[in-house]
Amino acid sequence: MEDFTNESSKNYKLSFHGSGSSYFGVIIVNWLLIVVTLGLYYPWAKAKQLHYLYGSTALNEERFSFHGTGKEMFKGFIKAVIIFAAIYGLLLLFMYLQMPIIGILVFYACILAIIPFAIHGSYRYRMSRTSWRGIRFGYRGDQKELSISFFKWTFFTIISFGLYSSWLSINLRNYLIGNIRLGSLQFKSDGDGGSYFWLNVKGYFLTLFTLGIYMFWWQKDIFAYYIDNLSVHQDDKEIRMTSTATGGDFFGLLVVNMLIIIFTLGIGYAWVVTRTMDFIVSKIELTGDIDLDTINQTEANFTDATGEDVSDVLDLGFIN
Amino acid sequence: MVTTGTYYDGISSIPQKVALILDEDNYLLSFNSSSGNTDQWGIGDISFNHIGNYLEIQFGHAPIEFIKIEDGDFITALKKLRKEKGHYNWYERLIDLGIKAHATIALLILGFISLIYLFVIPLVAENAVVLIPESYDNNLGNTFFNEYIEYNAVDSSKTKALNLFAKQLKLNNSKELKFTVIKSSTVNAFALPDGNIVIFTGLIDLMEDKNELVGLIGHEVTHVNQRHSMKMMCRNLSGYLFLSAVLSDVNGIMAIIGDNVHTLQSLTYSRQFERQADMEGIEIMVSNKVNPKGMSKLFERLQTQDDHLLPEFLSSHPITEERINYIKQIVKENANKELENDKLKDLFLQIKTNIN
Repeated sequence: MEDFTNESSKNYKLSFHGSGSSYFGVIIVNWLLIVVTLGLYYPWAKAKQLHYLYGSTALNEERFSFHGTGKEMFKGFIKAVIIFAAIYGLLLLFMYLQMPIIGILVFYACILAIIPFAIHGSYRYRMSRTSWRGIRFGYRGDQKELSISFFKWTFFTIISFGLYSSWLSINLRNYLIGNIRLGSLQFKSDGDGGSYFWLNVKGYFLTLFTLGIYMFWWQKDIFAYYIDNLSVHQDDKEIRMTSTATGGDFFGLLVVNMLIIIFTLGIGYAWVVTRTMDFIVSKIELTGDIDLDTINQTEANFTDATGEDVSDVLDLGFIN
Repeated sequence: MVTTGTYYDGISSIPQKVALILDEDNYLLSFNSSSGNTDQWGIGDISFNHIGNYLEIQFGHAPIEFIKIEDGDFITALKKLRKEKGHYNWYERLIDLGIKAHATIALLILGFISLIYLFVIPLVAENAVVLIPESYDNNLGNTFFNEYIEYNAVDSSKTKALNLFAKQLKLNNSKELKFTVIKSSTVNAFALPDGNIVIFTGLIDLMEDKNELVGLIGHEVTHVNQRHSMKMMCRNLSGYLFLSAVLSDVNGIMAIIGDNVHTLQSLTYSRQFERQADMEGIEIMVSNKVNPKGMSKLFERLQTQDDHLLPEFLSSHPITEERINYIKQIVKENANKELENDKLKDLFLQIKTNIN
């Protein structure tokens, strides 16, 4: 007999349940506490924000959860501060020794060197602190492998005067996503730098020729490229993702977002975030044959948030 | 009280519908798990996560078990009970205040930030200038002066006469002043923090009386005496750092708006400094027994220039009616007996004379 028992768990739908007004509350309370504590509250504030956003996102009406705590992030924050103080200390030392050029080179080399560590740490931390139906996400990338690849790609990007950056970003994405697990589910990204490069060349020139109007369609293409190459696997079964967003959709999203920001002088930021989350989630279609009831817990806990906080200082933006 | 919740054991992804019983007397939540056992969670040991009108409660560490509840009445009852037991924490109370209170808090914080930005920061920054050694002003001014001079023609005979002219005056200066006349039709003059004061022939040609020149010198010297350049730098830098620090915590967009507000604000700073230079310039005139009317004359002349080309040093602080009016007012209050000073008159003529 075939297994027909759980057809409902083979239909998939993402949804977002947050509202601008409740997220506004989270942001404003955070702001108040950050001001009152002269900034020390920052790690807790960030944890609350992630709690809200993850907890408002659902797959088949089942919410994701973020379990990270302000305390964990605070410890990471302190370590991040020490790391940066050491790097700046080194710079000042070289300045003092009258070797400013060497100092600046060492400084940038250090910053470049910690980027892969920060990415790795950040992914490990965030994934292990996120769950769905009680099953933890996990990131299984290898620190050394990622660093070597990252430096190689960065080197190619530099000697190609930036042309290689499309490959850099897609290769990095493939590596990071390919190492994400949700219990026994395995994520995969099959992008390729070449097609991403041509997509951007086309987007750039058409945007130029249409005096910026094509920008929304370019955005749509990038989004679709990311999403359409995403899939989830379990044994021989899979779930594929498809973007249903159109350029017109992006036009509506971005123009209204901009108007909200302008007319509220930035206070309406909460609504911009919830609108955008709602948009992204509703424009991703999932199809496949994995039975979501068969996912097992496989990933370990990891509570060191240093990478997360270093990324924060460097202002690295990842897919959350 | 009873409701239905969804329970996850933290090991498999299978949801289990459970009947959840709130036992108020024993401060417990109990439910029957699929194995048939009755589980009891002490409410004080549960961690609560409210997201809008949805509640997720967690229990234990490894594995973390949790239950999702979407029944509004049940959530309210649970909240009330926890409040009675004193387990409802301050963070949850703040979040529960609602959007009106949150909007009010946002406005209060903005107001508070504005007050600090407008009144505290400039005061602290200006007083902090005392901590910066004068040698820093000197280096800064000197570097700029040397580079500037390289690309501009100095009128040496006028420069010599101007320095002698200034020597005749009491200028309340703490550091040595050095005057330079530059050959240029631009109507301009500026003071550098190291005591270098540069005047263009375009401006000298416009003047008709020595009193006007004393007014101009008084004005520029005040910029040096009051260390206006350094104060401006400190104010600008600290104001900028403050705004971007407090606003970027909210979001990048507010930080950008903050930057623009700050640019406008720094124009007001420079107007304040110009006003101070006007006032003390007049005081210098009075103490040198020179008719302070020269100052208002000079500005009236400059005002007529506005139509053609806005002089550089005025672009950020134009000569408005208002400026002319308060200068006239002060001039009137300080009207004094003018003492004829032939030496000044003589030197002024020399400065005005074009040799070639």
